[in-house]
Amino acid sequence: MTSKKVILTGSFGVGKTSLFNQFIYSRFSDKYLTTIGVKVNKKTIEVDGRTVALMIWDIAGEVAQDKVPTSYFLGASGIIYVFDLTRPSTYHSLTKDIDYLQDLTKGAVIKIVGNKKDLVSEADISRISSELPLPHDLLTSAKTGENVNELFYQLGAKLLD
Amino acid sequence: MKRKDTTGSEQEKMQQLQEILLGKERAKLDRLETIVETKEDLSERVSPIIEEHLEQLRQQFPEHYRRVVDRMMEEKIKSSSEDILNTLYPVLGKMIKKYIAHQFQLLREAIDQQIRRTIQRLNFWQRFKVMVWGIGDTDLLLVESKAPQILEVFVIQRDSGLLLGNASAQKTVDSDVVAGMLTAIKAFVEDAFMDGSQDLGMIEYDHHKIYLQNFPAFFIAIALSGVISELEKGRLNDHLLDFAEQEITNKLVIPSEAGFTHISQQLENRFIGQESQLLH
Repeated sequence: MTSKKVILTGSFGVGKTSLFNQFIYSRFSDKYLTTIGVKVNKKTIEVDGRTVALMIWDIAGEVAQDKVPTSYFLGASGIIYVFDLTRPSTYHSLTKDIDYLQDLTKGAVIKIVGNKKDLVSEADISRISSELPLPHDLLTSAKTGENVNELFYQLGAKLLD
Repeated sequence: MKRKDTTGSEQEKMQQLQEILLGKERAKLDRLETIVETKEDLSERVSPIIEEHLEQLRQQFPEHYRRVVDRMMEEKIKSSSEDILNTLYPVLGKMIKKYIAHQFQLLREAIDQQIRRTIQRLNFWQRFKVMVWGIGDTDLLLVESKAPQILEVFVIQRDSGLLLGNASAQKTVDSDVVAGMLTAIKAFVEDAFMDGSQDLGMIEYDHHKIYLQNFPAFFIAIALSGVISELEKGRLNDHLLDFAEQEITNKLVIPSEAGFTHISQQLENRFIGQESQLLH
């Protein structure tokens, strides 16, 4: 079975841990997030008949990505960058953050995800999409579960390519 | 008819003329053709020339090609520096340990000799006092303690935290997740307190310890219960270095199913239930 390291990152309060908890049962409590700034868990999925274990590192949110210890990103095959659809401040630095992450993790697959879809209207979504400096890959709701599984399965498929 | 006969006779004359003029050349040509097409004949003629050129090349090779070879070796070493480091690290670690242990042994013997000389100079009453109350601060305390037991061994890819192999005395935890969390804790401590210049060596909690032996591309974490002396720790470390040198090749530092099976099997054979051999 293939194992891949996936990082969940983005500003604080965007819903990373909620997405994480929605997707998998969490063995370690959330206190690790506040003590060492990261929590690791595993989810095994099957994509096109192939099994992949996603080792997901849920990293505590920082306003700027370069505040997060770089060693957490080392060896990552995939990165899920999450922003909050209801807070523009969480996607204003999108280009700078993505450039930084691409430099740090050369070759890693990066998915840009807008969370809290359940809190915005379709009109808002169109407006936000036009405002985004980079195109998003998926819009999710950790609360309702919309597109959460799709996100991780899409990423898993890309990592197995 | 006469015209035809004349043409035929002219042709015959031409042929005869050609044979007279070109007969020798034709014969030479036939001979050459035979030589070229017969492997043995050709080889007999060409081989000495090739041998001579090869010999010249052998003699002149260093002079003409030294710089090219040096440059190629330099590029190869640069591109393979990680592989070279992975191969040398366990060997260097053992060499350094042996040297330090040897120096300590010499120092200890020198101290012992000095103490003996000192005691010999004491009178009877002074010797009695030393025997009863000991010598200064060098008291040794032997404590009855629980014998050490190896609970789990993990081989973990250094940067990603992905598990390369694992063996356990009691299967209770998800090894992949523990490997990831150990890597995260290690990264946090090294980043927060060591400025990235040193490696975390041990995590201690109550009577349990997790020793971390670090290598360039991976680290080995060994979880123990019980009390372990410095001497036993040194012996365990030697076994870990041996294991890394003998079992973890450059190919196996990239996670794979076959690699995982091999490393896990070797960990099981060498470490689980082997405390008496490893520590004494």
